[in-house]
Amino acid sequence: MAASEDQLKTLMLGGLDGDAAAHGALLRALVPLLRSFYRRRLREAEGDVDDLIQETLIAIHTRRATYDRDRPFTAWLYVVARYRLIDHVRRRKSSVALEDVEAGLVADDVEAVAAAQMDLDALLATLSPKQARAILDTQIEGMSVAEAAQGAGIGESDVKISVHRGLKALAARIRGSRP
Amino acid sequence: MNTERLIESLSADVPRVSRHALAKRVGLGILAGAVVTMLAVVIVLGIRPDLHLAMHGFSFWMKWTYTVSLGAGALYAVSRLARPTPGSLRGLWLLAIPVLVLIGVGIGELAATPSRQWLAMWLGTSWMVCPWLVLSLAIPIFLGLLWSFRKLAPIRLRAAGAAAGLAAGAWAATIYCLHCPESSAIFVLTWYSLGIALAAAAGAWLGPRVLRW
Repeated sequence: MAASEDQLKTLMLGGLDGDAAAHGALLRALVPLLRSFYRRRLREAEGDVDDLIQETLIAIHTRRATYDRDRPFTAWLYVVARYRLIDHVRRRKSSVALEDVEAGLVADDVEAVAAAQMDLDALLATLSPKQARAILDTQIEGMSVAEAAQGAGIGESDVKISVHRGLKALAARIRGSRP
Repeated sequence: MNTERLIESLSADVPRVSRHALAKRVGLGILAGAVVTMLAVVIVLGIRPDLHLAMHGFSFWMKWTYTVSLGAGALYAVSRLARPTPGSLRGLWLLAIPVLVLIGVGIGELAATPSRQWLAMWLGTSWMVCPWLVLSLAIPIFLGLLWSFRKLAPIRLRAAGAAAGLAAGAWAATIYCLHCPESSAIFVLTWYSLGIALAAAAGAWLGPRVLRW
């Protein structure tokens, strides 16, 4: 189960106060969050995602003084993660000017976006990786079934079934979590 | 490298980070740069010989008020833009106040001076070198701020570079006041501002190149 904003923020504040165990626990808790964040946006070899996760963990570690304790941790986290992603993409395709993507980084409602991101990640983490990826690709990234099938290296009918079963499971979960 | 091993090595070294760590980092960078700029002014340009007299006069404090308030505003922008979540920069319009005040002083000065002396007052004796000296003296301070940024996380690189250039220019101009004998408001308004603006423009140009992380 994915960690919540409150848990992450508590760990972050612990680390800022010099608690090495809290800092380590924070970095460990961020790995799955960052993995799903990058996997969704980069259809590349797993090694690239791992590199990005490590670069992001290093950035979070060395630049932690830039976190403002009075603001949500995940908002800060995802802006850092997105910056690392853009830098990564830009290094591969040198034609993308950073200015072009800067506008996208400075979303006005970055905190709302981050909160929605957390919810989505938490929900998708309850599904099998195949179902989660199929839903992300077709429902959120807007790929066609054929593209999603090719990207994941599975059959088209497999994608359709994964989406169907995944959405059904999510619907049941959301209904079940209501009081 | 394996991610777990990386996390172990990162969490082996977790110094406490104070609430004011960011401000301290920016302050230290600018201070280190300012020391170098100060040495350059003292050793290369020389302090104006009548400094103790000038410090009792209006124009010296007018110049300092102008450059110090621009420098303070620019530092505020730097410390905001040093975070990935910069928040609002709306307070920056306050930077217009010192400019407007100086324009007011300049108009008063022109009104009190016969118009045939206006050109001499505007150009002073150093208008050709003043902007370039301010720009050159800004370099050490800008480098100090670059050092600060190494542990900070700006995402609007052009804006952060411009703010750092503005801060470097304004503080360099503040230190340059110790050398510069000019005393008219319209001189400062034109040539000091030009030097500071050149530093800000250079910072905006350099930002996306040197502030990447």
